[in-house]
Amino acid sequence: MEVPLPLIWLVKIVVIFGGLVSTAALMSLAERKVSAWMQYRIGPNRVGPFGLLQPLADGVKFIFKEELIPAGANKFMFRLAPALSAAPAMLTMAVIPIGGTVVLGEYSIPLSIADVDIGVLFLLAFSGLSIYGVILGGWASNSKYSLLGGLRASAQMISYELTLILTILAVVALEGTLNLRTISENQQHVGEWNIWTQPLAFVLFTITMFAETNRHPFDFAECEPELVGGFHTEYSAMRFALYFLGEYCAMTVLSCLNATLFLGGPSVPFWPEAPWFVGIAAFCLKAGFFLFLFLWVRWSLPRMRFDQLMRLGWKVFLPLALANLLITGGFIAFGAH
Amino acid sequence: MSELLFYAMAVIALLGGLGVIFSKSPMGSVLSLLGSFFALAVIYLLAGFHFMAAVQILVYAGAIMVLFLFVIMLLNLGGMGTRFELSAAPLTRARSQIAAAVAAGVGLAGLIAVQRASLPRIAQGGAPERIDDINQIAIALFGRYSLPFQAVSVLLLTTMVAVLVLAKRRTRESGQ
Repeated sequence: MEVPLPLIWLVKIVVIFGGLVSTAALMSLAERKVSAWMQYRIGPNRVGPFGLLQPLADGVKFIFKEELIPAGANKFMFRLAPALSAAPAMLTMAVIPIGGTVVLGEYSIPLSIADVDIGVLFLLAFSGLSIYGVILGGWASNSKYSLLGGLRASAQMISYELTLILTILAVVALEGTLNLRTISENQQHVGEWNIWTQPLAFVLFTITMFAETNRHPFDFAECEPELVGGFHTEYSAMRFALYFLGEYCAMTVLSCLNATLFLGGPSVPFWPEAPWFVGIAAFCLKAGFFLFLFLWVRWSLPRMRFDQLMRLGWKVFLPLALANLLITGGFIAFGAH
Repeated sequence: MSELLFYAMAVIALLGGLGVIFSKSPMGSVLSLLGSFFALAVIYLLAGFHFMAAVQILVYAGAIMVLFLFVIMLLNLGGMGTRFELSAAPLTRARSQIAAAVAAGVGLAGLIAVQRASLPRIAQGGAPERIDDINQIAIALFGRYSLPFQAVSVLLLTTMVAVLVLAKRRTRESGQ
């Protein structure tokens, strides 16, 4: 029986949110390190061993920078927008099971902050909200570059969210539940991973992740050569950092979701009885792979054109995702299950 | 505690609704509506309808309002500025007064009808069956209520056409 001890809850919340934010901070370092390695450079290596304390130095710098609010901006929305972008991305981490259940003495502790029956819906609902930070930030800045960046971001996220939801829906239909913990527990063995039954959904989801987080090659919301800095052109200091934190958190959450939905979450290949800490390590490894993929793609591919992005979303991904869902539904309805 | 939260959310929902009407810029209206939707979602949560609350945020706040924002930003940029101001115009125009009176009347009639009907009350010990079960919702929606479900979508289509006609006429008038 689970005992909701306040202390256990507190530890879980601190560890998971702390882990998420630390991952986001480390990603800002990894981004520069990976780009440096890919371009035969060294990257930041002055602060701390191997430059590991660079994010800390960046944070201090961001806090002490001057904060500018452009004339004619809507001050209230301008201040609120970065928080609106970062908070939903952090909230969604609450439903992701980073491991199985830990038994400590008489307590069995499920390794996720909240175990809700509609976990997938909760995650989709809140990750869809982070777009408001981008749109409102772009609008409230009272600058044409920001506005265009915000508009592009909204068009892009609406288009790609459909594909994202449809691919997730295929997995949900197969598993018959919206509970992320149940989905991850149903994939104990490597043969049961959803990547084998839903390869197309996996590929589509992985590509859509890039568009949902406004990452390269789909980062039109902040396309530097055209829009200066896109929606965050007018932002400075910590609010600017908050946008980045939100983006990295969203990337981390989607990577974790991808690992949970398609790669069995904390399940270890060929070792189903692995202890819980090995499970957590396996989960971090899987999520870490997708995080690396974000960087790998960013420094390998050129940016697309906006019309190409829209065509890809509506004419290729959406029909493919719909067909995939239809075929999955057909298999479920007419046996073969 | 939950009662207090309910009243707080009800006030926010109403204030949001008023903001939609009295805001001068369409942006302010959309944001007020958004606040109202969130308050409604919390009220659903308080009533135990977790699924409804999630769908409310996913569909209305996450998709429809983003579309609204998108359209407003695309069409209504000239001269609107970024300021939120309130306007009393909806109270002073005769046409608006009639519309408000009709809407209030219909709303009141609906409230009275609900009060009189023997519908299950959430306040009296919760809903009779487990409404929150997604399977139950799906079976009800695609089984027993599949015809009304379709009818509502036709109603939405009709509304869309009506809005198009109204908006079209206004641009023609202003164009002359």
